[in-house]
Amino acid sequence: MNATRRLAMMSMACLAAYPAYAHGPTRQKLELSVEVNAPPAKVWAVIGNFHDLSWVPAVAKVEGEGGNDPDTAKRTVTLKSGGVWHDEELSDYDAAKFTYGTFLPHVDVKVLPVADFSAHILVTAEPGGKSKVEWRTAFYRGYPNNDPPPDLNEAAAKKAVTDFVQPALDGLKARFGSAS
Amino acid sequence: MGVRAIAAAAITLLPVLGRAAEAFITDQDGDSVTVIDLATRKTVATLPIDGKPAGIAMARDGARAYVTSPSIQQVSVIDTASRRVIGHFAAPGGPLGIAVHPSGNPVYVADWYSDQVEVIDTATGHLMGRITVGQSPSGLAVTNDGKLLVVADRLSNAVSLVDTAGLKEVARVPVGAHPFGLALDPSGTHAYTADVESNTVSVVDLVARRPDGAIKVGKRPYVVALDGPHGFVTNELASTVTVFDLATLQKLATIPVGDYPEGMQASPDGKFLYVANWDSNTLSIIDAASLKVTGTLDAGSSPRAFGTFIK
Repeated sequence: MNATRRLAMMSMACLAAYPAYAHGPTRQKLELSVEVNAPPAKVWAVIGNFHDLSWVPAVAKVEGEGGNDPDTAKRTVTLKSGGVWHDEELSDYDAAKFTYGTFLPHVDVKVLPVADFSAHILVTAEPGGKSKVEWRTAFYRGYPNNDPPPDLNEAAAKKAVTDFVQPALDGLKARFGSAS
Repeated sequence: MGVRAIAAAAITLLPVLGRAAEAFITDQDGDSVTVIDLATRKTVATLPIDGKPAGIAMARDGARAYVTSPSIQQVSVIDTASRRVIGHFAAPGGPLGIAVHPSGNPVYVADWYSDQVEVIDTATGHLMGRITVGQSPSGLAVTNDGKLLVVADRLSNAVSLVDTAGLKEVARVPVGAHPFGLALDPSGTHAYTADVESNTVSVVDLVARRPDGAIKVGKRPYVVALDGPHGFVTNELASTVTVFDLATLQKLATIPVGDYPEGMQASPDGKFLYVANWDSNTLSIIDAASLKVTGTLDAGSSPRAFGTFIK
């Protein structure tokens, strides 16, 4: 019981580290995918590093620490538009299954009009040495209260995420060739 | 600890017998509630409910279920026998968490956008009162004796203890960061909160009105369920359920389920736990004895089932 009490005290002491960001009540789901003409290992070699987003056209640079260890990894992403987000976490990482997950607790809605942005990238084998690349995202709209303005509603959030993800998937298709 | 162990053991004496168990799953993106027969494991009905339904509270006798639609500020009333929506209550703000008094009346609706819990007369649909609690009230539950309403105040990092007779907050107890779902033990002496941002489950002693321990669980814990001697918590970003011992607060197992697991509840006989996987659109069935997933059923679109959803 001493250990659990200590943990309880620790978790109380940590409270100050968590700013009180609010978000809307309904999380959105957006899942985009592409089939490419290369086996998963070859695709994973390009996209499988949490700290390398050179394959995402919207991104200018990535800085971070912790490698691909979900317990410690964090990255700061600078967009070509000039926008920046900090402290994006690696929520899980499994190179054997060609997948990793990310979680961004907070982003300026001027950079990306979303809240609590999480995502999974997953590569699966398709017949004939091909692959399917999925980028599955979940997020709340940028406006935390009722009656969001048009630039911070669900449609705006979905458009912004699509504009971030789709060119990256299109780029993989161009790089490895279309599966069809 | 002895008291807690006895209280936990008592849950096995409480199953509601002689009734086919059914799960009423709120489908956020389907704008519906999917009804699944838990004996045959088949979907038996889909009820249209507008407004991104999320929260649900099942009356103790199983006759009525109350569903929150945060997008249109509404609570829908389901007659579970006929599987029909028989009425609606207005619920201002962002109605999400919902609980029903053990007597069947009233319902308590948490307004996610404020610091208010609305009290609605289930017979008339009228607002009976408002209770001021902490910021962004989320999950809530009433003790079996009906005397105490316990509310997870997400942005206040606390639970509010509310006297249901006076409709007043009588105590506030700190828990981990951003508590969302909560569960009460059958004796009404302990509350367990899923603390989304600190990745913990906090225990609150409801009698002494103070913190009574915590356990580290998986990433983004969301909902707690109790079953016999065990506590279960869905970890959204880990796609797992953590199982812990209620007496020792030691972790017993980590069970892979679907992606973004949210709502979870034990069956009336305590043999299974049902987990709604928001991203996978499935319902995972956990065997409470083996602590393994023994079945995965198709659910609706973006199932949440936040609250009590089994009749």
